[in-house]
Amino acid sequence: MKANDIQELKRQALDEAAAAPTADALEAVRVKYLGRKGLLPDIMTGLKDMDPAERPLAGRYANELKQELGDTLAVRREAIEAAGRAAHRAPFDGTLPGNWRACGSRHPVSQVIEEAVRIFHGLGFTVADGPDLETEWHNFDALNTPADHPSRDVQDTFWLNDKTLLRTQTSPVQIRVMEGRRPPVRIIAPGRCYRRDTTDATHSANFHQIEGLYVDRQVSMADLKGDITHFAREMMGADVKVRFRPHFFPFTEPSVEYDFSCHMCKGAGCRVCKQSGWIEISGAGMVNPRVFANVGYEPEAFTGYAFGMGVERIAMIKFGIEDIRLLYENDVRFLEQFS
Amino acid sequence: MRIPLSWLNDYVSLEGVSPRELADRLTFSGLEIEGIETIGSDYKGCVAAEVTAIRPHPNADKLRLVTVARGAEAPLEVVCGAPNVELGMKVALATIGAVLANGLVIKPAKIRGVPSSGMLCAEDELGLSADHGGLLRLPAEAVPGTPLSKILGPPEAVLVAEVTPNRPDCLSLIGIAREVGALLGRPVKRPSVEAPETGAPAAARIAVAIEDPELCPRYTARLLTGLAVGPSPEWMKKRLQLAGLRAISNVVDITNYVMLECGHPLHAFDLRRVRGERIVVRRARDGEVMKTLDGVERKLGARMLMICDAERPVALAGIMGGEESGIADDTAEVLLESACFQPAGIRWTSKALGLTSESAYRFERGADVLGADWAGRRAAALMAAHAGATIARGSVDAFPTPPRKKRVTLRFSRARDLLGMPLEPAVMTAIFRSLELGLAAADAESVTVEVPTFRVDLAQEVDLIEEVARIHGLDRIPAPAPTARLVPDATDRPVRARLEISRQLAGLGLCEIMNYTFTSDKLLNLFDPGGAAGRVKLPNPISADQTILRPSLIPQLVETLGRNRSRQRAEAALFEAGRVFTLKADGSFAETDMVALGLMGKAGRGVMDRGQAPGEEESFAWLKGLLESVCATLRVPVRRAGGMRLANPVFESAELPWAEPGMGARVLLNGTVCGVAGVLRSSIAREWRITEPVAVAELDAAMLGGHVFDVPASRPIPAYPSVERDVALIVAESVRYEDILQAILKQAPGELRQVRLFDVYRGEHVGPGRKSMACTLTYQSHEKTLTDEEANGYHNSIKAGIASDLQAEIRE
Ligand SMILES: [Zn+2]
Repeated sequence: MKANDIQELKRQALDEAAAAPTADALEAVRVKYLGRKGLLPDIMTGLKDMDPAERPLAGRYANELKQELGDTLAVRREAIEAAGRAAHRAPFDGTLPGNWRACGSRHPVSQVIEEAVRIFHGLGFTVADGPDLETEWHNFDALNTPADHPSRDVQDTFWLNDKTLLRTQTSPVQIRVMEGRRPPVRIIAPGRCYRRDTTDATHSANFHQIEGLYVDRQVSMADLKGDITHFAREMMGADVKVRFRPHFFPFTEPSVEYDFSCHMCKGAGCRVCKQSGWIEISGAGMVNPRVFANVGYEPEAFTGYAFGMGVERIAMIKFGIEDIRLLYENDVRFLEQFS
Repeated sequence: MRIPLSWLNDYVSLEGVSPRELADRLTFSGLEIEGIETIGSDYKGCVAAEVTAIRPHPNADKLRLVTVARGAEAPLEVVCGAPNVELGMKVALATIGAVLANGLVIKPAKIRGVPSSGMLCAEDELGLSADHGGLLRLPAEAVPGTPLSKILGPPEAVLVAEVTPNRPDCLSLIGIAREVGALLGRPVKRPSVEAPETGAPAAARIAVAIEDPELCPRYTARLLTGLAVGPSPEWMKKRLQLAGLRAISNVVDITNYVMLECGHPLHAFDLRRVRGERIVVRRARDGEVMKTLDGVERKLGARMLMICDAERPVALAGIMGGEESGIADDTAEVLLESACFQPAGIRWTSKALGLTSESAYRFERGADVLGADWAGRRAAALMAAHAGATIARGSVDAFPTPPRKKRVTLRFSRARDLLGMPLEPAVMTAIFRSLELGLAAADAESVTVEVPTFRVDLAQEVDLIEEVARIHGLDRIPAPAPTARLVPDATDRPVRARLEISRQLAGLGLCEIMNYTFTSDKLLNLFDPGGAAGRVKLPNPISADQTILRPSLIPQLVETLGRNRSRQRAEAALFEAGRVFTLKADGSFAETDMVALGLMGKAGRGVMDRGQAPGEEESFAWLKGLLESVCATLRVPVRRAGGMRLANPVFESAELPWAEPGMGARVLLNGTVCGVAGVLRSSIAREWRITEPVAVAELDAAMLGGHVFDVPASRPIPAYPSVERDVALIVAESVRYEDILQAILKQAPGELRQVRLFDVYRGEHVGPGRKSMACTLTYQSHEKTLTDEEANGYHNSIKAGIASDLQAEIRE
């Protein structure tokens, strides 16, 4: 026998195995080739009589025959058995509805807060927290708000007594953090705020803000612009642009307001941006040295920036929500859209 | 502030700058332009016409047939519905083919059966205002047939600005011109105030005494005699109207015109009504009353500053004049006030009386104390020109303490550092010069600015840096890619732990809701009728249903379930993370972060398992399962008994005011109460027509999230196989699962690893008042493979223990 004859025999064996229709026929193939008295043991015995030059190759072919036929027999055996199982069973219906518990959803306001926390964590900001019930000092005085400023009125602010109020902004968290530690300070503070606004499509007497504060030895307006721009792109989309307009706030100087280019229409003008291509977001600025003096930081040694943004407002433009009241109505049909 | 551009152009040239461009430049330098209005149009096809005949309309009571003459062209008859049409009136006629400001094209038409070949226009149709009260009345001297554009002039552009409270100087056209001049690099021109003072010296006749120099730092008075009150010139009326003010009479209009021009409010008194021809600036006496120009009788208080004559108040200082001392048709002598009042005082009085005015608006932001004299001169000059007044020589100027000069130094390096950009000193000083800030001193490192009195907002170095930033342009400050900087010792784990709770609850399939912090006694009393004493009440609530700061998240959570129930949502699984507020016995307030969960209807069932309504036990079990899962994901430490792990948290039966009797529990973590759980009273559920069981829990967020950052310790997994044995027992209905568990634990060997209830059965096989419960017990040794005999031995002694402890019948 020659090595090539073994190859020929292998082809024949594999064909027979693949074609065997029943388990019995398959077993017959196995016995014919691999059985104790089968063809393979014959070949193995015959190897020693072979031309020594051809012997290694023949040995390899014989082993291949054994290996490959074994594999083919196993595959064919499973196929025959599976066909047999299927014949004894009711048809399988994979089109039945999926059955696992419902997925939950986060409120759009929470989603914006989580996203802001993620973005600013990436820049090394930590999350700070402060009480909803604030002192006049933290909410107004320390933030350089004039004593007779209209925002302090009972018309605009919920006072609990002559010392305590519901914070009108998250800015008092700035003061609390600075009172508690020396620079550097790098925090954001999401939280609920309260103003005596009559509820309508864009106002709510309670709402959320995210405050940001960065104080160190060389913080500049350029840092503020860069960081806000980064936030805008992460939150609203990579091609969003930011523009800054001078404004006035007592606790920052210079103060700015900033707008995002409309992520819906890419600046062309649409319903969300009221055809202007820009969406007014919020205020920011460089911390007023008087605020530093109020918390015992040396105004000469440190500079810093601060910003505040309305969470509901960002959620509304990000998700295209037209009425702020939807956010507090808690209709599950509305909320489930944000799973 | 409305800025008519044709008027602004008097002070700074706007040549070559479109309204849009100007609006953008102003907005991006801090004067936000909210809108650009176009007043009027090119009036194509519109001419002046004279009403020559009026006939009734045959088919309509409210319409009339009006014949109008229009010069050389033939007269026309048009149908007109305006109430003010009258013979001889000069009107604006839109002829066939004219296109009106609102887009309407005039075509030949039949109105109620009568042909009309044109239209007589009201102001709104011409784009002049929103007024549709009647026809526009053209000046009597208008010649019929003249194109309307020749009479009304070209269309006017008006910018509408929102001026921030720190910039009262921008509440005037000259102030805005100054900004425009700085932005465009153009000079600012002031009108002349030179006028011959031909009258007797003012001081010889009138006198001024300031009794409260704190509230009134300056009061100048001028005297004008021999004047005739009448209408203002058309150009002045038009400018006032474009600026949003109504024209009244030349004297009053001039005070308003000068106020809009320079920002300084003025007031004109009829000298006849100033008793003793003497002004006394003092606080009101308690009980004094005065009728203001608007006809309202005002009760005055001791904090209010009044302008008085020798006897009584004649004006509410800086806010509004008195009715009696105002300009009348026959006024011939005027005492012209140009004064300065303390902003806080004006604000207080204005608020106390609920009375505001253009004047108060400016004084409460801060007027220019050195500008008072210029304003008085300017108004006097205009009165000489347009009311025929003779100006008395000089003025009476009560100015007890002129202000000290205010100087602020800017270090160039500080400006560069704060803005984060290179800036040449020359650029910065040029900006200050363009804003009319005096340069007192300068060297290589710094410049010292003398702040003019009209800039009440400039006090510190950063204020000057802001001037540089906004005039140079914020868009020129770079916006570099952020640099991440870590603050080594800063930690935010408590806040992040709270966020983690919400993440896990959403992951477990709950929908997050958010309710208002405000709620009402009415809702709260439903859930906790005895809890009123601990509630935080708002002294100034916004509405009757928002009077309390919520002491618990549960009432609104249930209300939310109910609202969804009424919207065909019979099942829901909701949670809210939020703050609650309580009033402590000592009168102080406490606020706590809580998490509440609520399950309604078949919330815990699979999609296919909808047949039967859920029972209260089933709902409560879902709630427990949820809390157990969330505790596990939040790494609350495992509870152990012998070799067994027990579920966390622990539920300790308790009566809760809102829970069905016997169906409430305190929830304990590590032996400390951290909240409550229970099945809602059906009497409360009925308020929202909820018929399905509702299971609710509320837990302290800090306690629940207290272990989020714990690191789980790894233990070796068991090396030997476990053995499972079942036990089924029939017990009285009163026996709880916990009783069975305790009975098992009492007998349990160290090898008992787990007890798992897998069946509860009630029915004819077990008989009335009894139930069958079946558990799988798992045994496992750390030392060896347990033999069947060993496992059976443990199991039998446990079964025997249960049988005797609980009078249970063990089923084999
Ligand atoms: Zn858009």
